[in-house]
Amino acid sequence: MRVLVVDDEPDLLASLLQALREDGYAADGAADGEEGLYKAQNYDYDAILLDVMLPGIDGWELLQRLRKTKKTAVLMLTARDAVRDRVRGLNGGADDYLVKPFDLDELLARLRALIRRSASQAQSCLQIGDVLLDTSARTVTRQGRPVELTAREYVLVEFLALHRGKVVSRTMLYEHLFDENDSTLSNLLDVHVSNIRKKLGHDFITTRRGHGYSIESL
Amino acid sequence: MIFNSIRWRLQLWHGLILVVVLSGFGLSAYHVARDNQQRRIDTELEHHLMALFRPLPPDQCPNRPPPGEHPETSRRPDPFDFSENLSQAIEQAGALDQTQTNTFYYLLWQSDGVLMASAPGSPVSVPFPTNPEPAGIQPHDPDSLDDGPPPHPRPPLPLIARTRNQAREIYLFGPHGDCVLVGRSMASDLAAMNRLALWLVAAGASVLLLGLAGGWWVATRAIRPIEDISATAIKIAAGDLSQRINAADAESELGRLATVLNSTFARLEAAFAHQARFTADASHELRTPVSVILTQTQTALARERSVAEYRNVLDACQRAAQRMRSLIESLLELARLDAGQEPMKQAPFDLAHVVRESIELLRPLATARGIQIQCACSPAPCIGDSERIGQVATNLLTNALQFNRAQGSVRVGVSAGNEFALLTVEDTGQGIPAEELPRIFERFYRVDKSRSRLQGHDGIGLAISKAIVDSHGGLIEVSSQFGAGSVFTVKLPTGKRSP
Repeated sequence: MRVLVVDDEPDLLASLLQALREDGYAADGAADGEEGLYKAQNYDYDAILLDVMLPGIDGWELLQRLRKTKKTAVLMLTARDAVRDRVRGLNGGADDYLVKPFDLDELLARLRALIRRSASQAQSCLQIGDVLLDTSARTVTRQGRPVELTAREYVLVEFLALHRGKVVSRTMLYEHLFDENDSTLSNLLDVHVSNIRKKLGHDFITTRRGHGYSIESL
Repeated sequence: MIFNSIRWRLQLWHGLILVVVLSGFGLSAYHVARDNQQRRIDTELEHHLMALFRPLPPDQCPNRPPPGEHPETSRRPDPFDFSENLSQAIEQAGALDQTQTNTFYYLLWQSDGVLMASAPGSPVSVPFPTNPEPAGIQPHDPDSLDDGPPPHPRPPLPLIARTRNQAREIYLFGPHGDCVLVGRSMASDLAAMNRLALWLVAAGASVLLLGLAGGWWVATRAIRPIEDISATAIKIAAGDLSQRINAADAESELGRLATVLNSTFARLEAAFAHQARFTADASHELRTPVSVILTQTQTALARERSVAEYRNVLDACQRAAQRMRSLIESLLELARLDAGQEPMKQAPFDLAHVVRESIELLRPLATARGIQIQCACSPAPCIGDSERIGQVATNLLTNALQFNRAQGSVRVGVSAGNEFALLTVEDTGQGIPAEELPRIFERFYRVDKSRSRLQGHDGIGLAISKAIVDSHGGLIEVSSQFGAGSVFTVKLPTGKRSP
């Protein structure tokens, strides 16, 4: 999952990015509205954490301009808690709203829910054959036994599981699973896929030669 | 209660006035019509009476003296001497009966009340009228007739009219107490009067209804602006301060009221917006460092970190805490200034001296940024709290240094005046766009939000400066040319009164 964080507070931005990366997200940061809008328009993020009070283009305007082209899920972060501001945010196309100061756990939970919702997945647990994926605990079990996956392997499984039945291209995987700071080589993806197959069964991920990967819907 | 509404009260008064006017009009019309009718009937009856006993031409007069006698001296018959003319009168009345409708009737009595003659259609049992005049004052004393010809034409007859059982009758007493009565039934006339009365009532009622309907319409129209005003006021009371009264008709009394109310609402809204903005800004400024501390610590505590990482987190927390401290100090100071709790000394001091101290304090910052400070300070005595004024000077100078271009300059001027001492701080920075100038002294207002945030400005310094200068009874102003620099001017009272 790749997320964008737009916040002009450097200390807050840095720790948010760190927390998100440690939670398995590919996270990009932007320190002002212009940069945020540019990145939001040029990548297909799974979600955007957007501060309202930004120098230059503020959060409202960024959201308004972004909505002309993209439907990316947006979680507004703001120190304004007046009901009018919340209503304005939700009416303006925000998908959720979190008032600063927030708890990190709440932020991560809301972000997960937001991404799940935008993938039209209401449940936090996904059953794929004999494999059970718990997206809130970030654990995978096979036939009731826990399976140890690395963070990269987990996000790859989760992304494919959220797009079950669809073929996900390699480009898309690179865009959504790795942030601008990752320097990955293309064959690394194949390494992750083969490791997952070893742990969850060879047929768990199907390769569509020339197109990409997919997890079959049943 | 609904009848307490202005519309209902207006309607009630309007209705009452209409009822009074209409009934007055109707009653007078009825009376005039009735009087006219009575007079007409009386004239008719009189006419008939006269016709009954009109003087006969001389050749037909039964008592006429033979020709050859002197007509002047002969006794002419008195036509109202019924006993003399009776047979003739009856004849004439018979003729009248033929020609007239039988609504008229006549009756003749002798002086002793014995009915001598009556028209065929006369009602029975018509009482013999009482003679109101004693014989002595009868206008036509028969004796006087002997002395000469009767005056001709005759003076008005003592006709007496009465109304009896829906009949109008006039009667006349002859010289010997004989009485003749002519009457007619008024049944048809009374019916006509009743019809008129009915018609008047109906017309009056319909005019009243029309008037009430019209009054209702007028009242509704007149009250609509008031209802607009109260509806808008209710919405505003419910919290929607953006509502305005539609004051299209600005010339009318209510239009003027609406205009005045609208401007009041606008000022209220501006005050509320200002307050709301301040609260939102303050909460934003206070919450942001708390968010930094929370996120930094929660992230750090999620797993084991290296010493360097912990140090970074602590550094960030310290920065956030320092920011909060300075912000809290500023806010508390501002609150005390607003409440007038901050004691201001009222001592004479030299403004130039205070400003020079501030410049010395900031010299290292100026040197670091390569900015020259030029000071043209002449002694300027004034009254106030020198420490507070020093704070203002330091704040203005800090801004002039921080928002200046590299290798720019700051010109500081202090001059004495009669009423006010003058401090000017002029920089060669970016300047302030004209549209931002009015808001520059507002709390948390920043022209360039990103730059000042990085420099640790909370956007409250100028607000504090203004509060300090205001509490001294002075003035702080700004003028700016965008791109060329800004000039801040502070005027402080010298304590001397202008002549």
